[in-house]
Amino acid sequence: MAGDPTDPTDGRVLAIVERGYRGALDKQFFDELYLATELHRQLGGLDVLLRGSAVGYALDAAPPPPLRIGNRTVDTLTDPRQGLRTLLGAGVRVLVEEPDIAALRSPLPLVDGVELAPAGATAARWAEYRMVVFL
Amino acid sequence: MARRIPHTDVLITLMGAPHASDQVTTALRLTQALLERGATVQVWTCGYATLLTQKPLGPDKPRNLADWNREYPSLATLAEELLTAHPDRLHWYGCRFCSDDRGAVDHLPQVVLRPPAGYAANVAAADKTLLMGVI
Repeated sequence: MAGDPTDPTDGRVLAIVERGYRGALDKQFFDELYLATELHRQLGGLDVLLRGSAVGYALDAAPPPPLRIGNRTVDTLTDPRQGLRTLLGAGVRVLVEEPDIAALRSPLPLVDGVELAPAGATAARWAEYRMVVFL
Repeated sequence: MARRIPHTDVLITLMGAPHASDQVTTALRLTQALLERGATVQVWTCGYATLLTQKPLGPDKPRNLADWNREYPSLATLAEELLTAHPDRLHWYGCRFCSDDRGAVDHLPQVVLRPPAGYAANVAAADKTLLMGVI
């Protein structure tokens, strides 16, 4: 119910990801976007803002190639684009901060559904969120 | 009597924590690439990097709620398989102080714990040392 302070799912949640690439072999599926998906499942109404090095996630690049380690081919590396698509498919709004993505000067397009956010625009809206988390 | 450290072409000293950056992925890729080219390698872990070879990590990561039946190798498995694939050309050392200081005291049997004061002997046994990360 909107405006009900006792309802833990009331209001939107802003999740900010500033630091990307935290271990393709270490994390594999359990990266910060997987955590965001779980937060959205539990709390609902999630918006994700990518800033800093995490803006690279928003570029529509190919999946990470498999790695050979010992005699094993590891094909379960972290795939942040897939993570974003999962979030978008679940109804999460994904924003990427414009100056940080522009600084990359990448010719790649954004992942379909990701929106550009002007610098500071999301910070100015913190008060509208019930919860702000740094992931 | 001081332990004799087998000569290697390269010593990779890995400091810092997994799950924080792509440093562990880079170190394991580099180790694999060196071994594939016939080099001899020793890895020395310090700080939270000593967690890489902990037996309680088990063979696989915990289950993925979104892909329940898929298996994801743990870092301990990847280290163990690297060692098994190259038994005579890869050696793995762990800093005893850092291990004890972090409760990381249940290493794979192939890991040789070394006192911090013994580090120079490992450097002397390698033609080239690469130190990655900060403690």
